[in-house]
Amino acid sequence: MRAFKGLLVVFFTLVLCLPAWGKVYIDIDSPAFQKFPTAIPDLRNMGTRQDKEDLSRWFSEQLSSALDITGYFRMIEKGAFLEDPKSSGITAEATNFSDWSVVGADFLVKGGFLYDGKNLSVEFRLFDVVEGKLITGKKYWGSIKEKKVMMLRFVGEILHALTGERGVFDTKIAFVGKKGNESEIYTVNFDGTDLQKITNFKSLSLLPHWSPEANRISLTSYLRDNPDYYIVDLRNGKVKKMSEHVGLNLSGPWSADGEKALLVLSKDGNEEIYTIDIKEGTLERITHNSSIDVSPSWSPDGESIAFVSNRSGSPQVFIMDAHGKNVRRLTFEGSYNTSPAWSPKGKKIVYEGSSNGGFQLFTIDEDGNNSVQVTFERGGAEDPSWSPDGRYLVFSSKIGQKRRICIVNSNGLNLRVLDEIKGIQSLESPSWSPHLNLY
Amino acid sequence: MKRNVFIIGVMVLICSFSFIFITGCAKTPETQMMKDTAATQADTEKAAAAEAAAMAAEKAVLEEQMLQEKLLAEADSFKDIKFAFDKYDLSAEARGVLSKLADWLNSHQDFEVTIEGHCDERGTTEYNLALGERRAEAAKAYLTNLGIDKMKITTISYGEELPMDPGSTEAAWAKNRRDHLVVFSKK
Repeated sequence: MRAFKGLLVVFFTLVLCLPAWGKVYIDIDSPAFQKFPTAIPDLRNMGTRQDKEDLSRWFSEQLSSALDITGYFRMIEKGAFLEDPKSSGITAEATNFSDWSVVGADFLVKGGFLYDGKNLSVEFRLFDVVEGKLITGKKYWGSIKEKKVMMLRFVGEILHALTGERGVFDTKIAFVGKKGNESEIYTVNFDGTDLQKITNFKSLSLLPHWSPEANRISLTSYLRDNPDYYIVDLRNGKVKKMSEHVGLNLSGPWSADGEKALLVLSKDGNEEIYTIDIKEGTLERITHNSSIDVSPSWSPDGESIAFVSNRSGSPQVFIMDAHGKNVRRLTFEGSYNTSPAWSPKGKKIVYEGSSNGGFQLFTIDEDGNNSVQVTFERGGAEDPSWSPDGRYLVFSSKIGQKRRICIVNSNGLNLRVLDEIKGIQSLESPSWSPHLNLY
Repeated sequence: MKRNVFIIGVMVLICSFSFIFITGCAKTPETQMMKDTAATQADTEKAAAAEAAAMAAEKAVLEEQMLQEKLLAEADSFKDIKFAFDKYDLSAEARGVLSKLADWLNSHQDFEVTIEGHCDERGTTEYNLALGERRAEAAKAYLTNLGIDKMKITTISYGEELPMDPGSTEAAWAKNRRDHLVVFSKK
C-alpha cells in the first residue's frame, strides 16, 4: 500500500468556497435524511489513444457503486441523461446545469483522463447542480494499477465535501466464519472486496478485536482445548498466546494507544473483567462481583467502560469508571440486553436487546436517555460494531438458515448484506477495523 | 464419548494384530522343526508354553478392554442435563442424573468426568460462554457436594458454539441448553 503514497495529487479548485456551502450541515445520520441525487456521466478520454480498456465507463461505474454503498447517494440512471457529451466539457463553463437539474440531479461528478498505455492521469470534479458551481476537484497521476486508489480517493473527497467525513473505504471488517464444529477468523474490506482468511487453527476461534493500528487481531480460540486468548500479527501471521488461565479467556477491545486490551477471565471462580498489558501480560482486575460480568467496551476517551452483567437478575448493560468504580445500570427496558459498543463519536451506545422473541439493535445515550430501536430485521440483529467514523453499524443476522454479516447506516437505513463464503455456514461476531489510511 | 469409543476400537484392532503376529511367530519354529529333526522335544514345549502365556495375557487385555467398554456404555446412559433459558440452576431431573453419576463414579474410581456447558443460540457469544460456564460449574458443585473429588471433574464452556440441533425452534433451543457429561477412563 505504501506505493500509493507516490501518487501525485493536485487540488485545483476553490476549497475556500466550501464553508459557504450550506448543505454540509445536513444531519445525514437522521432517519429523515434524503439521499443526495447524483449523476455521473462516463469520463472523457482527453487523449488521442483509443479507450481500449473502457476506462470512461469503468470510472463512472466504480464511482457510482462506491457512492451507492455509502448509503448517502441516489444515483441517477445514465439512460435519463440529456447532456450531449460532444458539445459539453468537464468544467462548469462547459456544463449546461439545467440539463442536469431537469433529470433530478442535485450533484454532478464529471471527469476526464489521459492514458498512454502505462501511466494514467485522471481529474474529477464535483458540481452543485442547483448553484451551478464547482464544489471540489482533484487531479491524480500514477500508474494504471492505481486507478482504484484514485477513484476511491476522490470518493473520499466527495464524502468529505458533502458529509464532513472521508468515509470508511479504508476499513475492514473481521468476523467469525463457522463450519461444523470449527470456526476461523476472516477479514473483508468495507466494500465487500478482498476477503482474507486470518486463522487456520481448525478449532473454534471467536471474538476478533482489532488493534488500533489495525495490524493485529486478538481472539479467543479453543486451539489447546480451552478458550484461551491469542493475538495474531497480520504482518507476519505470527500467533502469540497471551492468556491461558483455567476457564474463560475472552478477547475484548483494545485501548486507543494499543497498550492494553479488555478481556474476561473466570480464573478466580467467576467471570470478571480485566485489562491486560499487551507487552508485559500483566493484569488489572476491574470488576468484583459474583455475577456474570462480560462484554466490556471502552468509551472513546477511555475513561469509562460499558459492560454486561446479570447482577440484577437478567443480563443488562452497565457503565463504570475505567478502574471499576461508580457502577450504574444503563438499560432498564426489556429483560435481556447485551453486547454494548460505545460509539467512536461518544455519547451513544449501541446494544442488542430482546424484541418480539428475537434480538434487535438499540442505541441509548450514555446518560440512559433516548433509547431508540435501530434495526427491525426479520432474522434479528446481534453483535453490533461501529465504523470508526460512527456512521455505520455492522452486525450479524440470520438470513434463511445462515447467519450473515450486515451493514447499515447508523440511522438503521440502507441495509447491505455481505456475500456468503463458499462452504462456510455461518458468519458472525463482526468487528470493524480502525482506518487503515490506504487512500 | 465418540472419541473414547474410537480409542477402544483402535486398541482392539492393535490387540488383534499383535495376536496374529504372536501366533504367526510361534508357528515359524514349528514348521522349521518339521524340517530340522535335530530340534528337541523340550524346545517344542517351551515354544508352546510361551504361546499359551502370550495368549492368556492377550485375553486379559481384551477382557479389560471389554469391561472398560461396558462401563463406558453404562456411563453413557447418564444423559445430558437440561436448563431453562438464561438459567443455570439444576432442575430436580438434573439433580437425579447427577446423583446417579456420583454413585457410579464412587464405585468406579478409575473414571473421571468432563462437563461441557452449552447454550441455545439466543443472546451473544460472550454472555453465552459465561452462561455455559455457570451451567458446567453448577453440575460440578453438585457432584463435589456428593463427595466426588473435584480433581476428577473438568469443566469447559462452549457457549452457543456447538449446538446439538442447529434449528431455531423452541424444541431445538431446549435440546441445546445442556450440560454434556463425558465420562472417561483415567487409564
